[in-house]
This record gives sequence, structure tokens and C-alpha cells, in this order.
Amino acid sequence: MSLPDFQVLRPRTNAEAVELLARHAGDIRIIAGGTDLVPSMRQKLFTPKFVLDIRAIAELNGIRESAAGLSIGAMTTLSAIERHPSIRKNYSVLREATITVASPVIRNMATLGGNICLDTRCLWYNQSLAWRKSCGFCIKKDGNLCHVAPGGTKCWAAFSADTPPALLCLGAQLEILSPQGTRIVPLQDLYSGAGEAPLKLAPTDLLAAIHLPAASSGLHGMYKKLRIRGSIDYPLAGVAVTFRNGTGKVTADSIMKDVRVAITAVNPAPLLVKEAAKQLEGKPFNEETAELAGELAAKSARPLTTSALTPEYRKEMVRVLAKRALLSLSQ
Amino acid sequence: MSKILITLNVNGRSHEIACEPNTLLLDCLRQDLGLTGSKRACDDSSCGACTVQIDGVPMLSCALLAVSCQGQRITTIEGVAEHGSLSALQKAYSDWGGSQCGYCTPGFMMTVNALLSETPDPTDEQIGAALSSNLCRCTGYVQMIQAIKAAIRAEQEGRAAKRT
Amino acid sequence: MSDFSVIGKRTAMVDSSGKATGLGKYTDDFSVPGMLIGKILHSPYPHARIKKIDASRALALDGVVAVVTGSDAPNKYGILPVGHDETALAVEKVRYVGDNVACVAAISESIAEKALELIDVEYEPMQAYFDPEDSMKATTDLIHPEKPGNVEKDYHHVFGDPDQGFAESDVVIEGRYIANEVTHAAMEPHCTLASFEIDSITGHPGRLTVWSSTQVPYYLQHKLSIVLDMPMSQIRVIKPLVGGGFGAKSEIIPLEIIAAVAARKAQAPVKITYTREEVFWAHRGRPRTIVDLKTGVKKDGSIRAVAARVVQDGGAYCSYGVVTILYSGALLGALYDIPNIRYDGYRVLTNKPACGAMRGHGTVNVRFAFESQLDEAAARIGMDPAAIRNRNLLKPPCLTVNNLRVRSYGLPECIEKVVTGSRWAERKGKLPRGRGLGIACSHYVSGAANSIIRSDMPHSTVNIKVDRDGGVVIYTGASDIGQGSDTMVAQVAAEVLGCSMARIRVIAADTDLTPVDIGSYSSRVTFMNGNATLRAAQAAKKLIAEAVAKRMNCSPEDLIFSGDKVWKKGAAEESAVAAVAAPTVSGHVDGQILRGSVQQKRKDEGVKERMSFEEAVVTAMDIQGTLTGVGSYAPPPDARGGKHKGGGVGPSPAYSYSAQVADVSVDEETGEVTVHKIWAAHDCGRALNPVAVEGQVIGSVWMGLGQALQEEMVWKHGLLMNPSLLEYRSASGVESPDIECYIVESIDPEGPFGAKEASEGSLAAAIPAVANAIFDAVGIRLRESPFTPERVLAALRSKKAGAKKLQLTRNFDPENPGSFREHGGSLCFKGKGPVRHALDPAMVRPGTTADSAEEMGGAD
Repeated sequence: MSLPDFQVLRPRTNAEAVELLARHAGDIRIIAGGTDLVPSMRQKLFTPKFVLDIRAIAELNGIRESAAGLSIGAMTTLSAIERHPSIRKNYSVLREATITVASPVIRNMATLGGNICLDTRCLWYNQSLAWRKSCGFCIKKDGNLCHVAPGGTKCWAAFSADTPPALLCLGAQLEILSPQGTRIVPLQDLYSGAGEAPLKLAPTDLLAAIHLPAASSGLHGMYKKLRIRGSIDYPLAGVAVTFRNGTGKVTADSIMKDVRVAITAVNPAPLLVKEAAKQLEGKPFNEETAELAGELAAKSARPLTTSALTPEYRKEMVRVLAKRALLSLSQ
Repeated sequence: MSKILITLNVNGRSHEIACEPNTLLLDCLRQDLGLTGSKRACDDSSCGACTVQIDGVPMLSCALLAVSCQGQRITTIEGVAEHGSLSALQKAYSDWGGSQCGYCTPGFMMTVNALLSETPDPTDEQIGAALSSNLCRCTGYVQMIQAIKAAIRAEQEGRAAKRT
Repeated sequence: MSDFSVIGKRTAMVDSSGKATGLGKYTDDFSVPGMLIGKILHSPYPHARIKKIDASRALALDGVVAVVTGSDAPNKYGILPVGHDETALAVEKVRYVGDNVACVAAISESIAEKALELIDVEYEPMQAYFDPEDSMKATTDLIHPEKPGNVEKDYHHVFGDPDQGFAESDVVIEGRYIANEVTHAAMEPHCTLASFEIDSITGHPGRLTVWSSTQVPYYLQHKLSIVLDMPMSQIRVIKPLVGGGFGAKSEIIPLEIIAAVAARKAQAPVKITYTREEVFWAHRGRPRTIVDLKTGVKKDGSIRAVAARVVQDGGAYCSYGVVTILYSGALLGALYDIPNIRYDGYRVLTNKPACGAMRGHGTVNVRFAFESQLDEAAARIGMDPAAIRNRNLLKPPCLTVNNLRVRSYGLPECIEKVVTGSRWAERKGKLPRGRGLGIACSHYVSGAANSIIRSDMPHSTVNIKVDRDGGVVIYTGASDIGQGSDTMVAQVAAEVLGCSMARIRVIAADTDLTPVDIGSYSSRVTFMNGNATLRAAQAAKKLIAEAVAKRMNCSPEDLIFSGDKVWKKGAAEESAVAAVAAPTVSGHVDGQILRGSVQQKRKDEGVKERMSFEEAVVTAMDIQGTLTGVGSYAPPPDARGGKHKGGGVGPSPAYSYSAQVADVSVDEETGEVTVHKIWAAHDCGRALNPVAVEGQVIGSVWMGLGQALQEEMVWKHGLLMNPSLLEYRSASGVESPDIECYIVESIDPEGPFGAKEASEGSLAAAIPAVANAIFDAVGIRLRESPFTPERVLAALRSKKAGAKKLQLTRNFDPENPGSFREHGGSLCFKGKGPVRHALDPAMVRPGTTADSAEEMGGAD
């Protein structure tokens, strides 16, 4: 399967990249690690005239620490993130999520920015052109019907990246460049909730960096992923949980503060489970609380038949994974 | 589509290649340079048969554009043999049944070779994690793990012999 | 221990350095000057008449050289003589989504792909059939008009008196088992390069050379001859390295024919390499199967009768189907002593990619059912599962009730090995809840005693040429597909000739150079080509021995060939001989350049007691001129089975045996099954190369675990939902358990050095071993594979009082499966919805129903 015809543009600076995006808006795709975009282009899901290769832009790469927290360049690879000592120490939920992404070799290529901006996935969508033709296409690409929600006019493709729920728990902020200047946006505002166009980014926007606030440093956190194969797979469901407790050490009935639960791969967007934050705040760390966390997380999950394993099972697993993620944090 | 001229450093040699801008590194290696050791098997960047090293780091050549790899050190399976003989890892794969059909072997070689250069004495978990990037359909991975451990032993014995 | 010098030694594969260095060539690694790339247009419809194909727009595209369609090569072919129902490209109609419609040959892949979009095909959709039991009721729009009720073939066998057997049983158990469809997913996608050369005499296109990733080069040569209307002698098929087959390449795959047809029309070499998706469409994997099984046992554990009704969803073409459905019945026999058997097998056509032969061909799904039910029977009579298997052993040499001849039988030792290894007696039934052990057995043929194309010709032939350089060249038709047959023949010849492996060159699987071997399938190569090699080497050795004996003044029987030396029994230094075994450098000692003088020298030396291998060879050539040994193998008549209809499938000169114990955990909250370890014992007769045998056994068990736990082709009305390595989940290294392999050597009286098959027989036992272990762990009996977490959880929930039921699909119960499950999407939704895309086949597809919203999740 060959790639569509395109020209490759390789800017050296952010300014150059933003300028090129503006010049070719609508006809251009940004390539980061390429591990998702390249296969998608081979399937003709994207047929841009220009591909903007931003690998050579040094300022997009690297992790910088400051009093405000941690700033991660959008092109920082997932391997670099999993190896970074202060992420491991202070933002452990991000590391836990990162090490579940695909496989080690893919993490050598895949970037945090790319993972955040991952396209939504569906078995009726992530297929070759010939395959999609045989099912009459779908709303998300080339067609106008949905195979998973019959009669619907909305796309339910599932947002299937692992790191965003962890980043949502950490209160990550995005630094986005555009011809109008730089803006800082909370991560949750990036996602539209619409499967066909999951990101609220303008064609001229360039995600430059992800900021983790110092306030989120030291949160206890865990990410659990539902997958069939022990490696390579995209999540079929994923749950991140973070909280803080007064004493630092988590033991039975420690009081939990700043509780956050976020889910992925079961909706067209990753979600912070607001109800969980509300109801779990100040609760003691125990089995019962964990059960509650699971129930609340599952309630927010609305999986459809977009992937392997049935929606009912995946929803059920959101409950189990949330519970287990929380309980795994006992020391 | 008209071609562009790119320069790639592959296995320590510099090559000027005229290729279309949308050429994958994998296709460039196989078709333009005749380095057919890197294999195409999956089309969706899931199997690892095309793994090469970019500046020593294993990556999938089926997800990289050739034009993007200029200025980097590309190592393919053809660049792994030592002084015209099998490396310890390659020899161990032969002796221990690490390859059956052999189609996935170059990819595994590139992944495991990177692991062993970084971590000469890996734990079982580290070996397992390294293997998890590549799919094999013949071996069930069991003999591959035996081969890797044999290679590590051989390297250690080789080093010990040099010291004495 | 044996006193062999090569046989039984752990030996590196002769082609392993090429694989480790990337220098070994697979078909896709070849290019020839002027080569075009072929791309195939596939049907978007599961069943449709082709009204018109217009390729003019495609042909107008710059870089397109030719477009071929069905009318360019309408001759029918198929792997079985009774199943010639395929054409290179569709003629008149298409029968599955992915069926082959046209092929473009162009100067590049991207141009060829673009041209595919410019071919205008007008289809008229027909009623399509996706479920075999529905398909059997079809009266209109038959998939092949000559097959009424869309039944490819049905067989009804009765051996002994099953009714009497059930009547005298104390316990009779019945159940339905469903095994979902799996595929080979060999790492190398199929690839073929076809090139014609111009005949010097006629000046027109003449000989065709085809490089192809095939397990059966000689069958390919034969089918190319049929489709292209060319004599076989004008067709050369070369099998380069093959990146795994597992049966996927054991018949003729459309691209192999299409490439040749396209090369003929384009008047240029054409290479076609399948995309991974096309590999899934080409398929030929293990059909999803319904097994209705009934077993009767007495209280003492003896099996009195077995009755099986098997329905296989064969897909749109016959492929190996007739053989598959026969194996499913025949191999109910030859594992245990079963006096009464009834078998009803239905191979059914559906509008899906054709199923064919896959590792463990025909036996696997029935074995899953049988070994599961045997455990149920053991539980009912309160017998240990290992004991009930030991209770029903055959007593060879014997003929089974269905006429299978069993001579070597290592099953008792296999069971003993895995029972000991797993500490079965201490641990079975005594592990904490959630953890369990399960045992199961299986067996397989060492090649079919009757070839696909009925003939009296040998199944394997081998030529060996020994030359004055002391080199030994083996010409074998055997196809090494990674299992190590090249190494096997080298070992056999080296052992017979007493020479080192370094002297041996193997030329294999090239129809111009090598004599016929019918291919690498049915685990036949070690037994049959091994025997042919053995005979060829013995013939060559005889010539050498006769000449040397004259020089040593003894009889040929008094000579010993070993360690690159030949000596007279009792000669001095005998013990020191075997030490070094490197070929000597020509010219230094007995090289061919000095042959004349050496000859003179030898005459002057008079009688000798020992000589080097090279010297022995040259001595023989003084007399013979050339030194060639030929050998062939045909299965003995008494191994060829009964005379009943279909009795030709199942018989084999020898059967391999396997026993396995699985140690698993079940997570009762998620339904996830973790296999901690498998102990696998395999009776391969004799392990010619233990590394290779272990590799094959472990690989088989591992592939069986894939079918047991996570591999499954998911269908939606004939549309394959997971045609990729990302979504068809072949296990990664992370979840692949340790597999401990025990080699059992029963030394078959007819196998080469006693060897039997090693590559397939172990696969089948892995699935029921896991099913039985899950039962031991948590008390659920899963009768539908694979045992995915959702199936396990659904079964657990249905057992647990008060637990919320997990309704995976309407009326779905993995403990009592009814029919095949479809993917939960809605390809054929027909309610009020948006206007469909013009190309949507569902718009016009008749006879389909809308799925209910029950299948949708998240509705709270």
C-alpha cells in the first residue's frame, strides 16, 4: 500500500512551521512520530498535498523543569518520557500510562504531542480504501452513515490514546502556536467529543509543548489499560487515577484529596470523570471507595462496537480497572 | 511525482538517492539501495519486521519517510555482522533455533542488538520487553529467548577470555 | 544414546546465517530488469454478477502497461482434482468481499494502485450466505451452481456399531462446541514474480519462470500449466526462502496465477506482493466449525462410542475443503482405542474467503471438542483426566476401527512426561480457586498415505551427486518453509555417507533442477523426503563402498563410513578417526586437479585399510565415472487405508503423538486467562535435529494457544473486520508463556532413522488443555474458542448466583454456544438513516436484517 502523493516540508524553527501551516492550511498534515499517521495515509484516510515534518525543530523537543512545573516539548518521544527521572518521581501516572503505549520500538518514535493529537479509531474507519468501499464508507471518512450507531448522524469513533487520561488527571496545559500568537489551553479543552473531528485545533495551530503544573507534582497515580495482547495494541479501555493524601504514604483509610479519575478509549474523547472527583474527595482509601470510583468511571463510559471486545465488556472493565488502579496505590 | 535528491548515511556509507518525497525509508532501503534485509510484513506499523536503528535507536522504517532520515545514522541488519562473520547474537540465533522462517529475524536482531548495546546483561523482564516490539509467528519466542541468553553468555565469556 | 554422528545432534539450520544477516532472499527481495508491479482489484461485494468491466480509463494512465481480467485466463483450477472451482480472476461473478476482479501491471506500485481506482466495474448483487447452517438451506443464488444447498461435500461414516456402543455406555455426554475461524498470518505476505523468456527457436515468448512464496512448487507448476495452457516442461517454479507457511502457501494462491497471466499480457516480468489485508482475504485458514459431539464411556473409563456431526464454514471455494472435512472424521481414530464411531461431516460454501489447510489440518477443532468432552466424562465417572486417557490407549501394532494403521505409539510416554513434569498428581485439583491444570492429547499424520492427485508415482524423490571434490550435492524437491527440511536432508545424507555437514550442499525446490516432491504440507517432509534422501544416500554410498572394498580387499559390508573417513572394520586407529571432520583443500591431498597422478599413486600404494572420504569418492569415480544416488518414497500399500468413500484421507504411514498439561490462572473479575506454563511432550519417532523438533513443537503449542485465547477472525456479513496484524492478535512475547518441550522417541519402523512428524501434531492439544485447565481453575466449561476475557467473564457471571449477567450478544452463552457470532456493527442496517454512499453494497443487498440495538453498549 503506497502513500498518497505529497511534498515534504521540513522547517527548522517553530516560526517557520507556523508560517508553512498558514500557507498550506487545509492541504497539510503535521507528521510527528509517524506511527499512526503513516499507516493512516497508506489507507488513504488522509491525502494531504503537503506533509509538515517537524522532527528537525529542536525547540519542540525536550523536557524542561522550572518552578512552574514541567514543560514537555510536543516532539519529545514517549521513550524519553518514560525514562525521565522527575516524571518517574513526580508525575508517575504519566509514566505508567506511557509505558503501556504500543511497543518499546514504537515509543522510540511516537511523541507525546502525537499521542495527545491521535485521531479517533474505529474498526469501520481504520481500514484500507478498498475495505471501506465494501462497507459503503462511514461518516468519519468519505461517507454519511455510521455502522456502530445505526441511523445516527454522529461519529462514535473512540479516542484511543493512553497518555491523555493521565495528563488530564495532572491538569496538563497545552501551549499552542498559531499565526495569531501563542495560547495556553487546558488539555480537556482540546477535545471536541465528536468522533469525526476529535480535536479543537485550527488548521494553522501547532501544538508546541505540554505543561505539567507544579501543583500536580507528587500526586499518587496509576493507569490501567485493557488490551488483548500484552504489547502493540491500542487501548480498548483505559483509566487513570490520581490523588494526594496528607501524610504522603497511602495506607488503609488514608484520606484522599484532589482525586481525579479519567478514562480513555471508551468515548470519542478522553474524559475527566467529574462525578468521581466530587464524590471521592475526602473519602478514605479503601475497597469501598475504590468500588465507588469504578462505578462512577463506568457510568461515564459509552463504548460502542468500534473495536475488538464488546462495548458491554469494555464498560465493565472501566469499572474494574478504575478500582484496581486506585487499590494498586496502597503502599 | 517528481523525484528529489536526498543523502542517507546507511551502515556507515553515504548514499545519494533520487526518490519521491513520499518514499518510506523501508522502500528506499529495499528498492533504491538493494538492502532487502529489512522486511515488510504488516502495512500498519505493528509487526516490527522492518526495524532499523536510527542513531542507534530501533525504529520502524515503514513509518519513517526517507527524506526525514537525512543527517542521521541508519543501521540496517546488513550492517550488523562483525568483520564479515556472524555477531554473537546472530550465531546464537542460528544455534538455538531463534529463527525458523527467518522473516522476522532482521527486525528482532535490530531490536535486541540495541538492547544489548545499552544493557549488556539484561534481566528477563528487559529481554521480554525488548521482544515485545516485534511479532514472530514461528517460534513462540521461547527459543529466541534461549538464543539471546546464549549470546549474552558468549559475549561475557569472550570478554573474560580477553582479560586473562 | 545412539551412535550416530549427525542424526540426533543439535544442528544449526543450514540456511540460518542468511536469515540472521538479512542476506537470505525471499521472493519479494528479487527484482529482474524491466519488472512491473502488479496490483489486484478486489470485489467489494460478497456475491454479485459482474455485468461489465471497463478498464479503458486505467489503461490510459501513464505508466500502466496492462490490465488483465477473468477472460484473459478463464481455465478453472483448484488444489484438489475434485475442486477445480477457481479462476485466476473472476469470471461472471464474485463470491466474497476480496475476490479477485482485475489486475493492473504498471511501472510502480503507486501507479498501479491509482489505476485500480479507474477500473469501472458494474455489479449486480446477489443473495449472499454467511452462516453455514443458513447456507445449507439455500435454494437460489447458489455460490457454485453445481453444488446444491451450497454443500461442497458431505460424508457419513459408520465404523463398528455406535448405537450398541452408546447402549453399553454408563455415561453418555452430548454437547455443541464452536471453534471460531483462525488464519496462518505467516510473517511473509504472499509474493510471486513471473517472467517469460523468448524462445530462441520460435522467436516468441516461451519458457516461464516463477519465483513464489510457496510450500508446493510442483503443484504450482501443474496449475500454471492448466491455466496458461502451457506444457509443464515450459514452466520453471523456484521457491526462494519462504517466510512461514503453516498451510497458507500449501495450495495455489490467486496471485501466483495472476502474476503469470499479467506477465504474459504485459510482455514483461510482473511481481505481485500481497498487502497484509490481501493475505487475510486469500486466507485458506482453519474454518469456523460447529462440532456436535457425543461420547459414551463405561464406569471404568473405557470409551465405547463417539458420534460427531461437524459443520465447517468453508468460504466461497473448495480449496482443501474436502480433505479438511475428511480429516475431521478420520482422525477421531488413531489417538485412542475407540471401537465405534459415527461421523457426519458437512463442508459448506459461504460468501467468505476460502478456508483451506492450516497447521493441524482438519483435526484441531474436533480435537478441542473431543478432549474437552473426555474431561467432562472423566468428571462424571469420578476419574482423573490423565487416567482416563491412559485407560483408552491403543495397543499397536494395530488397525483402528476406521482402518488406520498404527505401528509406533509414544502416547503413553508423552502422558507420563507431562504428568511428571507438571507434578500433576500433587497439584491437579488442589490449587487455590482461580488456578488450574488441564491435560489433553493430540496426534497427526506424518504425511498422507495417498497423494492429492491419485497416482502410483512416488511422493518424494531425491538425487544425490557426489563429485571428485568430495562435495555432496543433494537435489531435493522438498520445500523448506522455515521448518528446516534443507537441514534435515543434509543431516540424513551426512549420516549415511559418514561425511561432515560442511561437504553438503542442498539444492531444493526448483522444478528445473530438483526431482519431484509434492510439497511441504501434512507434515510429510521428514518422513517421505527423509526416506527418499536416505535411499539416495545409501545408493551413492553403495557405489563408493563397492569401489573402496575392492581397494581394501574386503566386502562392502565390512566398511565403516564415518567422520569423513572410510575404513575397514577392525583397522587400526579406528577410535581416533572421527576427530576432525573438515574437508581438505583441493590439490594438497587428493584434489581433482591431480586426479591422474593420484590415481597412479593409489595404484602404486597397493592395498589400503583406510582412506579419506575424498579419496574414497575418487576411487569410486575411477570405476563409475559419475557418482549419483537416487531415492524415492511411496507409502506402503498396507498404510493406505480403507476402501470406504473418503477412506483415502486420514491414513498415514505413521502418526505423531502429543500430550500437554496447561497451568493457567483465571481472573474472575476480568475474565482474563493467563497461561503460566505448558508442558508439552511430543512423540516424533526420532528427533533428527532436537533444536528443530523443539522449535516445531513449541511453535505448534504456541499457535494453538493463540487459537485458544486471542486469535479470531471477526466477521460482519462476510466482511472481515480485522484484516491486519494490529487487529488479528497474534501473541507478542509478553503474554507468551514458557513452553517446556519433552521429546519422546518411539522409533518408527518405517521412518528415516525412525523419525515421524513434529510440526503439527502438538497444536491441537493446546486448546483443550487450556479449556480443561480453566474448568479446573474456576469450574466453567467453555465450549466456544477463543476463550477471550469477555467469553470467560460471561460464563463466570452466568454461573454465579446474583451476579450481573454479561450479555455479549443475544442468546450468547459460551458454555452452550448455538451459532456463530457476528461483529456487533450494522453493515446492513435498513432503517431510516442518511443516504448511503453510492458504492455501499448494503444498499442493494437483499435478504438481510437489521441488528437490534441490544448489541450496542453503553446505553445507560
